Amino acid sequence: MDNQIERERVGRDLAERHGENDLFAAALRGACKAMLLADARRPGKPLVFANDAFLQLTGYARDEVLGRSCKFLQGPGTDEASVDEIRRALAEGRALSIEILNYRKDGTAFWNAVSLSPVADGSGAPEYYFAVLSDVSDKREAELALKEAYEGLERAVDARTLDLQTALDQKTMLLHEVDHRVKNNLQLISSLIQLQLRRSAEPVVKEALRGVLDRVGAISTVHRRLFQSDDVRRFDVAEFVSDLIEDLSAGAADRGIRFELDLEPVFVSSGKAAPVSLIVNELLANAMKHAYPEGKGGLIRVAVRREGDKERIVVQDDGVGFDIDNAKTVSGGRHIIELLSRQLRATTTWENANPGTRAVVLLPSEGEAVG
Amino acid sequence: MSDRRLRVLIVEDEVLVAAELAWLVEDLGHEVVGEAATSADALRLAGDTRPDLALVDIHLYDGPTGVEVARRIAAESGATVLFMTANQKRVPPDFAGAAGLVPKPYSIHGMQEAIAFVEQCMAEGRAMAEPPHSLKVAPAFTERLGSRGP
Repeated sequence: MDNQIERERVGRDLAERHGENDLFAAALRGACKAMLLADARRPGKPLVFANDAFLQLTGYARDEVLGRSCKFLQGPGTDEASVDEIRRALAEGRALSIEILNYRKDGTAFWNAVSLSPVADGSGAPEYYFAVLSDVSDKREAELALKEAYEGLERAVDARTLDLQTALDQKTMLLHEVDHRVKNNLQLISSLIQLQLRRSAEPVVKEALRGVLDRVGAISTVHRRLFQSDDVRRFDVAEFVSDLIEDLSAGAADRGIRFELDLEPVFVSSGKAAPVSLIVNELLANAMKHAYPEGKGGLIRVAVRREGDKERIVVQDDGVGFDIDNAKTVSGGRHIIELLSRQLRATTTWENANPGTRAVVLLPSEGEAVG
Repeated sequence: MSDRRLRVLIVEDEVLVAAELAWLVEDLGHEVVGEAATSADALRLAGDTRPDLALVDIHLYDGPTGVEVARRIAAESGATVLFMTANQKRVPPDFAGAAGLVPKPYSIHGMQEAIAFVEQCMAEGRAMAEPPHSLKVAPAFTERLGSRGP
């Protein structure tokens, strides 16, 4: 039995060099951490020393391990890459700390945290390898449990996010669907009125229908604008006015009426968009209808500005002026303005501008926070 | 009134909107060569009548088929196509070969200006003015027209 002879020889060598009186050897033998010493110069790097803690950890007897290579600790679950890493460190004579799955004599596995370090001889070449081992199975299990819990949590968050995204997608789709329908219905209403208008011969009926068509047009412009903006909760009155004026300008130009705009962004909540826009529409319709009779042209100024804690909308013509207290307006336009002003808690006043008329709407400001 | 009489195809499934649009087109001095409410009718009419201009709604009687209708009319009959839709998100980034889009609800004036603008572009081979606010011009159409202004 070569192995037996070899083991005895190495044992004798060690005993000679590190006998009962060697304090360091005694410390290693009695340490509570498992420790090994392997012969770096022999093929297979056989163990020449194993302390009691190692024997306790692995379940082997001392004579079962001395003279053998450490490979006996490996088993079916041992990671090949980790084994390779240890092999490379040994070949290159450098230290290594690694966690590797090892097996006891009874076949049970444990996570082994190994710290390897070469012990050099006088010339600097590794003479022995010294290894400290500890069972870190509990730590690994805790880590694994934590990882699983974390992954479980992540899956739960992903699932919840998906649910929310789906709900949001459905809401968005619904919003688009409703938006689409509102716009199509406004188009339909507008086409209906227009068709009716084409069929009627009565000037009074035509004028009334045209008034209604303009009002529907104002609401249509509101809806085009509302869903174009990034924030559907608020509405820029100035943008509406510039759209409306562009719609009116060609017809107005034919009558020699020009517009001058002084606009700054003035936001109202989307719920107020339609009434505010209808008021502006009525004011402009009034000015165009009454201020410039018999082809007399002129200039209509429209201003939209924040003034203190009010939003101020001004429509001022330089036309013939009118008897403010007894004036009749387009298709009950003034009545509409008064009703909508009340709804908006706004005040609308008319004054003589000499020449012409100035209508001023003061809306309570909603500040920056609109919603 | 326009200088040039365009032959116009209207593709719209809402018949009242189509009827009113036909009046509007004729008021501008153009000729309506057909009205279609389905994609099949639209393609057949486009082949039969070879229109100069097609006004195409995206949601037709047979579904959101207007995009494909526009693509085929533009490619196969060489007509200038304008979308008119309440659902602008359906218009693909390349406008499916259409020259532009008129968002619904459009005003009479807005639609008149949009038609007048493309008519002038077709006649002059380039834009003579900025497009009206009622019209969103397709990127490829802008490129084809080159620089704006005389």
